[in-house]
Amino acid sequence: MREPITLEDVLNSRWVAEPLHLLDCCLVTDGGGAVVVTTAERARNTRKTPIHVLGHGEAHTHNTIASMPDLATHQAAVASGRAAFAMAGLTPADIDVAEIYDSFTITVLLTLEALGFCGRGEGGAFVSGQRTAPGGSFPMNTNGGGLSYCHPGMYGIFLLIEATRQLRGECGSRQIEGARVALAHGTGGVLSSGATVILGKD
Amino acid sequence: MPGHLPASLLVQDSDSRPYWEGLQQGELRIQRCDSCSKAVFYPRSICPHCFADQLSWIVASGKGTVYSYTVAHQAFGSFAADVPFVVALIELEEGVRMMSRLLDAPRERVMVGAAVKVTFEKVEEDLTLPYFRLLE
Repeated sequence: MREPITLEDVLNSRWVAEPLHLLDCCLVTDGGGAVVVTTAERARNTRKTPIHVLGHGEAHTHNTIASMPDLATHQAAVASGRAAFAMAGLTPADIDVAEIYDSFTITVLLTLEALGFCGRGEGGAFVSGQRTAPGGSFPMNTNGGGLSYCHPGMYGIFLLIEATRQLRGECGSRQIEGARVALAHGTGGVLSSGATVILGKD
Repeated sequence: MPGHLPASLLVQDSDSRPYWEGLQQGELRIQRCDSCSKAVFYPRSICPHCFADQLSWIVASGKGTVYSYTVAHQAFGSFAADVPFVVALIELEEGVRMMSRLLDAPRERVMVGAAVKVTFEKVEEDLTLPYFRLLE
């Protein structure tokens, strides 16, 4: 999306499935991406600044939405986030920029709560007041996310790419100054699976 | 008549055939694990609770409550003409959830926890689907 979107634009867009309006839903686009993963030793000799995997985790809890244990808890993200933070030896307070899978607006709120950036039921308040907008106090989905940038059906690769670009300082006007640690979280299925990666630079 | 998928698109295999045949006979069939006695839905060959491979079919009461719901305003294919309609997750008395539609449901009466009962709609000669209605 190339023009700013206001709260009123979202609320005035047509219903898709209540309570989600059209602008609560990700785009449907083409797209593709790739990342190169190698050893830290080999990465030292590459032209691009190496970005390191500090921690990762993944989990899967159910297949159909009718089998989801609790619709208000993204349990897969709870588990994947816990594993990733434990491996990295970090906490949510250490994250400089977060790239959170956003198939729908609610996906983001549940994920932020699951990863421990805020408490259960606090996701809405956490992102309010333009905190995740450009220049806000919680840099998130700096490429625009699936809601505004692109969503080819498998969006997760763009979470990793944007997190990596932020840490390399390649993001131009959307660059988060001084970003050293980034988190990327992908969600799959119907809030079924979670994959969390914490990335850092030397 | 609510829209539906053509019967030819529905997968009826050895796991799910008793379910579909039950609907034709006006029965909402679910499974119960012979080992841990927990109810299981959707149809499958391994118990998701204890991984036993012996499950028996039982006839559910068809009564349940609305666990959650949405009102769909955009739909596709044979469902497209039906919008808006209520899609709900129904928690059956036996302790499993299934997704279905609430028929003839006034918006002000659709709410989490509302009591519902199954109703069988014959949508094709060989296809009956389970929908739900609010209990008075």
